[in-house]
Amino acid sequence: MPKRRDVLAIVLIVLPWTLLITVWHQSAIAPLLTIRKACYHLVKELFIIPGTLAVRRHQLADDRGNGRRDTGQGSDSKEYCSPDKDIVEVVRTEYVYTRPPPWSDVLPTIHVITPTYSRPVQKAELTRLANTFLHVPNLHWILVEDSQRRTPLVTQLLHETGLNYTHLNVETPRNYKLRGDVRDPRIPRGTMQRNLALRWLRETFSVNSTQPGIVYFADDDNTYSLELFEEMRSTRKVSVWPVAFVGGLRYESPKVNAAGKVYGWKTVFDPHRPFAIDMAGFAVNLRLILFKPQAYFKLRGVKGGYQESSLLRELVTLNDLEPKAANCTKILVWHTRTEKPVLVNEGKKGFTDPNVEI
Amino acid sequence: MRLKLKTVFVLYFTVSLLGLIYALMQLGQRCDCTEHDAARDRTISRLRGELHSLREQMKKPEPTNPPKPALPPTIHVITPTYTRLVQKAELTRLSQTLLHVRQLHWILVEDSPHKTVLVSEFLVRSGLTYTHLHVPTPRESKLQEGDPSWLKPRGAEQRNEGLRWLRETAGGRQGAQLEEGVVYFADDDNTYSLQLFEEMRGTQMVSVWPVGLVGGMRYERPVVEQGRVVRFHTGWRPNRPFPLDMAGFAVSLRLVLANPDAHFDGDAPMGFLESSFLQGLVTMEELEPKADMCTKVLVWHTRTEKPKMKREDALQKQGLGSDPGVEV
Repeated sequence: MPKRRDVLAIVLIVLPWTLLITVWHQSAIAPLLTIRKACYHLVKELFIIPGTLAVRRHQLADDRGNGRRDTGQGSDSKEYCSPDKDIVEVVRTEYVYTRPPPWSDVLPTIHVITPTYSRPVQKAELTRLANTFLHVPNLHWILVEDSQRRTPLVTQLLHETGLNYTHLNVETPRNYKLRGDVRDPRIPRGTMQRNLALRWLRETFSVNSTQPGIVYFADDDNTYSLELFEEMRSTRKVSVWPVAFVGGLRYESPKVNAAGKVYGWKTVFDPHRPFAIDMAGFAVNLRLILFKPQAYFKLRGVKGGYQESSLLRELVTLNDLEPKAANCTKILVWHTRTEKPVLVNEGKKGFTDPNVEI
Repeated sequence: MRLKLKTVFVLYFTVSLLGLIYALMQLGQRCDCTEHDAARDRTISRLRGELHSLREQMKKPEPTNPPKPALPPTIHVITPTYTRLVQKAELTRLSQTLLHVRQLHWILVEDSPHKTVLVSEFLVRSGLTYTHLHVPTPRESKLQEGDPSWLKPRGAEQRNEGLRWLRETAGGRQGAQLEEGVVYFADDDNTYSLQLFEEMRGTQMVSVWPVGLVGGMRYERPVVEQGRVVRFHTGWRPNRPFPLDMAGFAVSLRLVLANPDAHFDGDAPMGFLESSFLQGLVTMEELEPKADMCTKVLVWHTRTEKPKMKREDALQKQGLGSDPGVEV
């Protein structure tokens, strides 16, 4: 019967293809599945262990009686084990420690470059900044003083924190024409210090080094959330995010289109700058810094607000920028400024003992 | 017709057979995704290594630390806070400091008729042991826009609310555990070193220490002679009963519970807020000096600038203000 023959023919045609497809699919998926499972287990364990190491936490009931807070570990492991992200990130702040978290071989190091200078609030600023950094794994703090010599105050402070640090110093040349301790106004503050840190990085790490690293410029009076450091850890070239309290706005942020690319800047102050972003709003992959050894912050002749552009335009184009913080919709860093303390009661000769360090 | 169909069929069969053979050969080779897999395998084995070392750390007893008592006294930190632009930033960095201190209980009291979403969500994510309270400051006592910060005492009602809660909660429990505690009033814009909290933990009645950047001076401090506070080194109104800053003392919980009427007087003249609380509790001779006999500065009275919002205000007037859904 021709009908049966036709049916047979169709079966013979379709069978090899179905076999092929099922076998192929299976073989591709299976190894991925086992890896994912292993990943989930490991992430869970890494979270659980520190919990037992730490002091047990419990929430005393407030007047509503909220009860115990759930750590939600299951949902986190899914986030971390997705195939297009690197396995395991961090290390949330579920534990209490005064030493920095143990160094991990897996996480890229975040090199935080902070310029600082002596003034009454310096020790306070560095203290609370250190308290923040002590929560971040694989953080290397490069503190650069604007001074002729490394001061004992900073040396002692860095030593006591227990952080992984490098202590550098370079003095911005003073403007001797003006009376008092006034630095050369043509050089924006912190520029020479940041450049020194970049040079140190280039001298210390070779281009061929496989140690992954991220470079971030953190001023000593800003406020950083811990989430920010984890966002920047996956930077491939240059990543960007919004910053609060800059440019006379609640926040400035890069403009991100539907494809997840940066195409402009949401600022009022000169949005046509090549990179209308604050120093605290971007991070650079160390490899890129090493690959372009001529890229530095421009020292002189830089218009206000163009400092960041002077470095970034030598490193990336707008198209290469990676938006973080949920496609630049969350604020993870605040450009806070500390008031200059009023010291009227010190008088001319000083009322307090200058040997007591503040 | 039939011939054509047969040829087509034969052709199709041959092509599919060849394709199948080719695919089977490919599978046999274990595709080039092994590179990708190998990297993951490496990562996984590294992670396993870390896990192993962390486990080892757990098993090892810490040789350098002397055996500690099971539960050191809890430090109850009462922080008044109010909504303003820098609030989230201030609370964030304060919480990052507090997170390092063991046995710490943060009592955050909002100057608000109800708990705000910002603070509620922030506390949940903070990882700290906390109690979230709120009490609004009556309008007459509240600072208005443009008032200098020293005009009216700030945070008195909120601190009193914190004290009230402690008394209520501790009153219910009879165990000695909750009685072993220290109460510290920490404003959300100051800067605290970690050492400070360890210094105050052993407070029996009221302990004191220097505070930096306050009173118009580099620091203010109690003057200690032979282990006792004899006077106070301050440049501003030194004749107050207790010329201290709020951040310069801590009270033992026992003392707070034993004096249920001790509270901050919101109507006290400028600078007398601390004295209004301490006067009924302790005399100067009974003060316990900390911080190396009050010679080290472990806390600074920093203040944060109000961020300039000129451009934001201009945009808001045009109806083009920043997205209020983005929390700052």
